[in-house]
Amino acid sequence: MDELDLLKKDWNKGGDNFPKLTYNDIYKMILKRSSSIVKWIFIISLLEFAFWALISFFLKDSESMKRFNQYDADTIFIPLMVIGYVILAYFFYLFFKNYKTISTTDNAKILMENILKTRRIVKQYVAFNLIYLVVSTIVVLWLEFDRDQLIINQVQEATANGEAFKFYATIIAATILLLILAIGVLLLFYWLIYGLLLKRLNRNYKELKKLEV
Amino acid sequence: MTKELEHSFVELLEKHQNIIHKVCRLYTNNYDAHNDLFQEITIQLWKAYPKFRGDAKFSTWMYRVGLNTAITLYRKSKRTIKTQDFEGVAFKMKAEDYDDTEEQQLKILYKAVHQLNDIEKALVFLYLEDKDYREISETLGISEVNARVKMNRIKTKLRTILNP
Repeated sequence: MDELDLLKKDWNKGGDNFPKLTYNDIYKMILKRSSSIVKWIFIISLLEFAFWALISFFLKDSESMKRFNQYDADTIFIPLMVIGYVILAYFFYLFFKNYKTISTTDNAKILMENILKTRRIVKQYVAFNLIYLVVSTIVVLWLEFDRDQLIINQVQEATANGEAFKFYATIIAATILLLILAIGVLLLFYWLIYGLLLKRLNRNYKELKKLEV
Repeated sequence: MTKELEHSFVELLEKHQNIIHKVCRLYTNNYDAHNDLFQEITIQLWKAYPKFRGDAKFSTWMYRVGLNTAITLYRKSKRTIKTQDFEGVAFKMKAEDYDDTEEQQLKILYKAVHQLNDIEKALVFLYLEDKDYREISETLGISEVNARVKMNRIKTKLRTILNP
């Protein structure tokens, strides 16, 4: 006899060993909250959207932003800001549209693909923000060198002392270091959160894909 | 309306609860984790219930949501595991029903099945539940041929474990 047939013979007898849950036991369960990864992905994604939206909101009111307002650079800042918000809205729409398609009644592969797709949208949004962060930093740096009287004076002073290169190099190196640090912390956060959350899903999705080869 | 829905759902689930227990039996190996997964599957079934259409069999629909929860949505219980391992409890055989060799073989078989990966377990589960390859392939989203090939590999794997 086939090994699995032997198991099958026993499989259906196993029912007696299971606890018999009553109507009330089950009723209590449906009132409890889910702890599924979909729920966590949803919460974390919303937090990510909120995080980046809040960052741009607070930056807008910060002291340094007020200084930039004096640069007369609205033609640069306003388009940058509009692009930021339009893209936020676009990603938000895509995220919800995909989130809605996640259904536990789909087959396993489609369910996994839909979850991964929803995740990918948030990932792309974060990637966009990182690029946006780098571009904005470059623009701000350029504006400061070009229009900030304080910095222009410092540059002139450094040039007079023959230290112009050192001055530029220090500022650019410090900026790059800060950017790398910020991106590094974010990537670490990602690796930890999603690595743990999606470990099982990724492993099983790979296994299903392997079956197709 | 919600009350009616709740009532019909809980009644149906009470009747078919063994399906969930069986999924939990394969994917967990202790009492706490079993209960935890059972609860999560119940919640997922309840969430999906308003969309359940009577044209599908309730049990068939349960297989899909149950397996999806076990292999995709479920995060392992964080609770410290102190309870006795299932192997000695739930799968205990009645000595008079089996001869020693068969009982021994079954013990090793259950242990071997527990060592399979999540997808292999899903295939074994559906096979043990007498589902045909068409249904297995539809539940997992793979082709019928691949389901058959994989099932044969699992059988070989189990045979090797049993007869090293």
